[in-house]
Amino acid sequence: MAQLIWNGLFVGSFYALVALGYSMVYGIMKLLNFAHGDIYMLGAFTGFAILGAVGGVSPGMALPVLLGVLVVTMGVTGLSGVVLERVAYRPLRSAPRLSLLITAVGASFALEYGMRAAAGADPRVYPLRLGGTTVELLGARITLQQVALIIVAIALMAGLNVLVTRTREGRAMRAIALDPRTAALMGINVNAVISRTFFLGSALAGAAGVMAGAYYGKVDFLMGFLIGLKAFTSAVIGGIGNITGTMLGGLLLGLLESFGTYWLGGEWRDVFAFGVLILFLTVRPTGLLGERVTERV
Amino acid sequence: MTAPAPAPAPARPRRGTALGRATSRLFDSRWAGLAGLAIAVLAPFVIATPYALSVMTSAAIFVMLASGLNIVVGFCGLLDLGYVAFFAVGAYTSGVLSTRLGLPLVATVPAVIAVTVVAGIVIGAPTLRLRSDYLAIVTLGFGEIIRITANNLDVTGGPSGIYGIPGLTGSPVVFYYLVVVVVSVAVIGASRLGRSRLGRAWRFVREDEDAAEAMGVHTYRVKLAAYIAGAVWGGLAGVLFAAQLSAISPGSFTFLQSALVLMAVVLGGMGSTPGVVIGAIVISLLPEVLRDLADYRFFAFGVLLILVMLVRPQGLWPHRSREAGS
Amino acid sequence: MGRSRISVIAAMLAAASLLTAGCGQGLLDGGSNSGGDEGPITLGMLIPQSGSEAAIGPYMKNAAQLAVDEINGKGGVLGRKLELKVADDACDAQTAVAGANKLVTEGIKVSVGGYCSGATLPTLPVFGKANIPMIIPAANSQELVDQHLKHVFLINGTGTQQATAAMAWMTKQGATSVALVHDNTSYSKDIAVRTQKLLDEAGGPETAILEAVTPKESDYSANIHNILAKKPDFVYWTGYFQEGGLIIRQLRQAGYKGSVMVGDGAVSEKLAEIAGGDAAEGVYATMTQTPETLQGAEAWIAAYKKKFNADPGPYSNQAYDGVRLAAEAITKAGSTDGDKVIAALEAVDGFPMFSGPLKFTADHTLSTGGFQILVVKSGKFALQDALK
Repeated sequence: MAQLIWNGLFVGSFYALVALGYSMVYGIMKLLNFAHGDIYMLGAFTGFAILGAVGGVSPGMALPVLLGVLVVTMGVTGLSGVVLERVAYRPLRSAPRLSLLITAVGASFALEYGMRAAAGADPRVYPLRLGGTTVELLGARITLQQVALIIVAIALMAGLNVLVTRTREGRAMRAIALDPRTAALMGINVNAVISRTFFLGSALAGAAGVMAGAYYGKVDFLMGFLIGLKAFTSAVIGGIGNITGTMLGGLLLGLLESFGTYWLGGEWRDVFAFGVLILFLTVRPTGLLGERVTERV
Repeated sequence: MTAPAPAPAPARPRRGTALGRATSRLFDSRWAGLAGLAIAVLAPFVIATPYALSVMTSAAIFVMLASGLNIVVGFCGLLDLGYVAFFAVGAYTSGVLSTRLGLPLVATVPAVIAVTVVAGIVIGAPTLRLRSDYLAIVTLGFGEIIRITANNLDVTGGPSGIYGIPGLTGSPVVFYYLVVVVVSVAVIGASRLGRSRLGRAWRFVREDEDAAEAMGVHTYRVKLAAYIAGAVWGGLAGVLFAAQLSAISPGSFTFLQSALVLMAVVLGGMGSTPGVVIGAIVISLLPEVLRDLADYRFFAFGVLLILVMLVRPQGLWPHRSREAGS
Repeated sequence: MGRSRISVIAAMLAAASLLTAGCGQGLLDGGSNSGGDEGPITLGMLIPQSGSEAAIGPYMKNAAQLAVDEINGKGGVLGRKLELKVADDACDAQTAVAGANKLVTEGIKVSVGGYCSGATLPTLPVFGKANIPMIIPAANSQELVDQHLKHVFLINGTGTQQATAAMAWMTKQGATSVALVHDNTSYSKDIAVRTQKLLDEAGGPETAILEAVTPKESDYSANIHNILAKKPDFVYWTGYFQEGGLIIRQLRQAGYKGSVMVGDGAVSEKLAEIAGGDAAEGVYATMTQTPETLQGAEAWIAAYKKKFNADPGPYSNQAYDGVRLAAEAITKAGSTDGDKVIAALEAVDGFPMFSGPLKFTADHTLSTGGFQILVVKSGKFALQDALK
């Protein structure tokens, strides 16, 4: 039981990290950024390239080196997110909302198959891996590396939460989310804030990519697709646009999958997870923490 | 950061000169439709290789899918990310009945319609009270549930699916013309539905659900009707799909397929019948045109999609409402 | 508005005319247009180059190209050069049918592709109608065999043969409780279910659990929790190396000490690399004969590496053999006529392939799968037991 919960939480924290970018972008632009999962993939490959360039690292230095790679990668993917928004989304901001969906899927294809052209279709393996020192806690086997990753994830999410709820920047984001036109009239530079939102969301996805690469080891050009879907699901469970809700949504999805596998077997896991999701949404149509809003006033 | 959706007011270019008006009348749906039909009918006289026929048949089936989804998304404004579920239900129903019971494919059509209507109600009834993006994730979930179920059950042939489905005709040329006829009827039917009393209710719901409700439109029932219509269209497209391929497997009904159909609708111009037809043709033919790029095929596809949308943000052939000032 | 629509239509017409320009292939132009008896003999190969299985495509394409070049280097077939045409099936039925029709239109004489069963099945009637023999190098689901089509030949071992080999080795190893893990694709599930049937019928090892994982994910801890709860002493993974490496790693991390065996789709050096460290050391595999385990095959691997600057991978040797077999059959038939090539394929006896001397059964499958047991030694697969 403890093991099931731990497995679910660990996987769920990855979902949450990726889902945050989804949720922030959605909150501010009402855009389903299908390319977000591919930013995660881009992060994993960026980390892979940096580690390859750095060369051999002694095992004792693994964690500090990885943290350094993590920071650099977050910068790189953050900037790619900004570029993505500038090229594919900003010119369409006055177009019907779903037009953005096309450019998002287009960007997703371009990123996936561009990476395939650059790095090949074969999976790549991280040169530096977080091994496994196992400890038993309440009957669950936990590796210290998992704990380290979860701490990093929590730190990133907590930082984001402070940024959104406590700073001027965060207030500007929330203002745009509520009403972009009024926000602009009140002197907020909407374009700059949206750019920064993309930077933050993409940086978090990139961080998740490096963490996945370092922990699981295998990276490939399609690795972002499935986790992108799951991040979207997590964001909706939590109440899309709501930061805390999204984090809870990610963890909840991880737990659903863990228990679904246990109860029904791997074959029916996703049926279970989606089934619960649908039932849940029919009872609580705005997700865990989403506010009930009227869409048009 | 939850927020009401800011309804973006699309800037609609003003109608231009008299010449412009004349040409736009020329390219009104009816004439465009006839021209499109003529192209479809004449195409095999230009090129009738097995490859061309197979690609054109697939494109026509894809047009049918897109026109079905257009009822749901374009007319009624319900974002559906799992439309392929109905496609799968149709294909599997006809496939299972024809191979297990030995029925000819045509005989399975009534069953397909019945089953897809039920599927539309089952999926629609609990979810249509949800709004926009919550609806999107729920439909996505249903799409995945249908695919995984088909993958896990024995009656659907498990992961390798059903093979040996009888075709509708022996000759690919005849089959192509049959598909063109069925798809034309479907496209015209969808367009008619969109202009009917029900269609006006759909558009009302799309533009402002609360106002529609206040004006006495039974929004729930109207939305369910859109859903069921979309389901039947998708299911019948599934029958054609099964007839064309003779073998179906869960791999054809992934989320990506749903996304592609949705892209066809949006790319062409939501709610616009000729637009959706063009969008579907572009989405299904473009990867084939780009086939010779081999490894760069989907990279080019992605870049082109972005470029097209940047040039024509409202879609290739946007819907133009007859009511002024929409 | 009107003008921009005109431009849309103009663009579409231009595209359409580009597509059709110069083709005298309409309905009124009469039928036959496929390649004549001049010029190179074309072989067609449908493989995934995009989509979820895109990684496999290059292994098969390169190996087939290697065979074509070698044969052409020796003067070709019937005095004509061979030419390989590759089409993407994306592991998707509709793309595969379009690709198959494209190959038929391009006048191929023999099809030497087919990897995903779900994408290969709908292409059978396409090639059948054109009377083009199919030598299928990888796809091996039972549905391909059950239709008893005369133009379809499988040169990969079948699921039953692989399951029998797995069963023999598990018995020999004295396993008592076996966990069968598959990825819910037809290839993988087929082997797992057939192995389960064998385990249930015979005495000896028992099935502890039949577990399915979702491919393309990273974390399989939930599945592994299920597996370990049944306390198996033998785990048999029947999917591919991408997930296999992760599963082996995560099994070991979770404290599993028993034996692990993988199916032929997981036989790649990447398996050990993904598993990391020495996690994959001592992992067994059921595999047809591979270049690595054949004497004198070092030269083949070296040639492949030299040409493509990459290692051969899953189904490289079958793809290579498929092309060679096609060339042999055309030579024996003395013609590229479909019926004659099919007759020549049925008559093949003792043709040397990586999987051993070839003779087709009445079902057009390999008479013996030629499966043997490999083991991972310092990161590479080496022969453990030939199961003779």
